[in-house]
Amino acid sequence: MRIPRKKFAADVPSTAMGDIAFLLLIFFVILARAVDDSHLQWEPAQVEEVEPSGAALASVVIDADQKLYLNGKTTTMDALPGQLEALLGDTEPGKRRVFLKADRETPASLFQPAIEAISMSGGDLLHVLNREDEPVTSTPSP
Amino acid sequence: MNLQRRELLVEPPATAAPDIAFILIVFFLVCASVQPDTGRPQDIPRSEETPQKEDQSQNIELSLTEKTLLLNGELLPFEKLEARLSQLLAGKESESDRVVIVKSAAETTYQRWIATTMAIESVGGIVTIQMEQEEVNVVE
Repeated sequence: MRIPRKKFAADVPSTAMGDIAFLLLIFFVILARAVDDSHLQWEPAQVEEVEPSGAALASVVIDADQKLYLNGKTTTMDALPGQLEALLGDTEPGKRRVFLKADRETPASLFQPAIEAISMSGGDLLHVLNREDEPVTSTPSP
Repeated sequence: MNLQRRELLVEPPATAAPDIAFILIVFFLVCASVQPDTGRPQDIPRSEETPQKEDQSQNIELSLTEKTLLLNGELLPFEKLEARLSQLLAGKESESDRVVIVKSAAETTYQRWIATTMAIESVGGIVTIQMEQEEVNVVE
């Protein structure tokens, strides 16, 4: 009499797959948010006409608390020109775009030195603004 | 004798929950990343180059505060700025003649500054920023 051999299941355990995928996704989302400036709170100024701004090599933000950021990281006005120069490097003229995202209530004593810094680093300044008929949002960028 | 009733399983099926969460996250990520930025460019030459300093006294000067606007010393309402500037810039062809020096008080807000400089540019003026104890930067 032949005794049938007991078969063992050799499947890959897939119970935790969903949880692992979920955690990985959260990890990458947090990592991505640390690089960009979408977590910063600011209200853009509004003008009659705006145009699509495309992409930029650097983004200078002055948020609602009047704090200065370069690419999402806090910085100082003194350090800004040097940091921008390092970011722009030898990029050819016309492609040295720098976003200025200043809160609409930012005083001139803050945003004018930022414009000066972008100028000194040879950046092509682009003010990020909203059209007048658009609702004001506190975080316009993704 | 009491017969024990068999308890039925009433939990919702949790097998698909991670998949649903995953799809929801992807959905919100896509929604968040489709909104593009909009804005206006401004060309700014390097600040150390300040040509034709001797002509600066002939340039149009605009003093800006949060409440007032002085164009060559004349108090103007914001609505009349473009019309008055058009008169002053009429017949001026060269860039150096179309320079408008903007002196902003420290408390002037970005919203007001942007609205003013856009008005200057709309009538062909070339905005220059004059900061306290700083050089003049030409902004086109």
